[in-house]
Amino acid sequence: MLRFSGVGVAGLVLAACGKQAGVEESKNIAAVGVVPDAEGLPNVKVTDVVLLRTAASLEYNAIETYEAALGLGVFTGAFAAAGDIAKRLRDDHRGHADAINGLVTKLGGKPFTCGNPRLSEIYISPALGLITDDANDNPALDVVVLAHALENLAAQTYQSVVTMLSDKALRQAAMTIGQEEARHAAILAQELNPGLAGVLPSIDEATGKPKVATVPGAFGPLTPIPVTLGPVNADGSRASLSLETPSLNSLAYDYVTCA
Amino acid sequence: MTLPAVAPTPPTAADRTLLAFANSAEFAARDLYAVAAALPAFNDEERAMLVGFHDHHLAAGQALAGLVGKHASNVREDAVYDAFRGKMAGSDKSAIFDALRELENTLVSTHLSLVGTLEGTGGSALVASILTIQARHAVALGLLGGRAFADALTNDAAPLSPKATS
Repeated sequence: MLRFSGVGVAGLVLAACGKQAGVEESKNIAAVGVVPDAEGLPNVKVTDVVLLRTAASLEYNAIETYEAALGLGVFTGAFAAAGDIAKRLRDDHRGHADAINGLVTKLGGKPFTCGNPRLSEIYISPALGLITDDANDNPALDVVVLAHALENLAAQTYQSVVTMLSDKALRQAAMTIGQEEARHAAILAQELNPGLAGVLPSIDEATGKPKVATVPGAFGPLTPIPVTLGPVNADGSRASLSLETPSLNSLAYDYVTCA
Repeated sequence: MTLPAVAPTPPTAADRTLLAFANSAEFAARDLYAVAAALPAFNDEERAMLVGFHDHHLAAGQALAGLVGKHASNVREDAVYDAFRGKMAGSDKSAIFDALRELENTLVSTHLSLVGTLEGTGGSALVASILTIQARHAVALGLLGGRAFADALTNDAAPLSPKATS
């Protein structure tokens, strides 16, 4: 009798640890509370089409940024010339986007016709927010600073995909546009730090920081691009962003769409 | 997710010939900047820029030599040098800047052509990093020479061909 009772208690304990009636089984490990099911990313490849769609998305980031900048109405007075440059560069980016999407279509892919969602979220929107902050004393200057950074980002992106594109004709097409982005960056660098003094790298003696250079070195860099924007904070500092070329979490995969 | 092979691939035998040509073209540009920087027309600030660009071409030539090793001649391409040498004279600074701009645009076009020809991505990546800087050189020279910004964005120069110059 005692022996049967022992078996009965053990059975009750096991039953308590096992499947329970009316409770939905979870694929996750045991946990307290409600845990959503793990949701994996689609299994995708970084192909020539994905790289070109990503390049197109950057072109649209630039187009949208120039449109937003022109819409602010800040290109007046000393910045009137910058407005003309912004219009020309915006038009160039439209041409680049069409050219890149033409290649995408030729390769059987779907053109990408909006700004890169991830880069918009982490770079463009915060930057425009800082620029348009009511406390910002010089939005026109900050617009040029942001545009210069985006042009450098675009130039670096084209340069960085050279080793990833499988077709050498695509590498040439990418660099044909990439060198135009470098020219854009150089034009804007001259707006920010004009004349001979702004051509080669130099240091701002007051801040100890590097000044903007038209020609930053002997080789095209592939490094993060720091940008300082917006109003001066209470501690005297300003917000900084660090722009980096698209990576696995910001490529325009086939499943990424313009929502 | 799968990344494409991003490790650069080495130059092929045909690549080495093209990269060796680029090496000698860079040294021609280096020597042309040396001639320009020695002209009395330029002040110290202008000379510093010319010497800076000279050093960039030297670095580019050396990097190309590093990639192709014994295949690099490490001497200037005379055809390139001779084509521009006559313009590195006189006191018209804008004309000299304009000639150097033309040289830079020619090199950009040449390097773009190489990127579309080279099989190994190591060579393509190096040439790509060189040509973006030379595009910037062209802009600086265009603006300092008094050209409108739209001109500085334009490159109508034809690429050099190894066969045509050597």
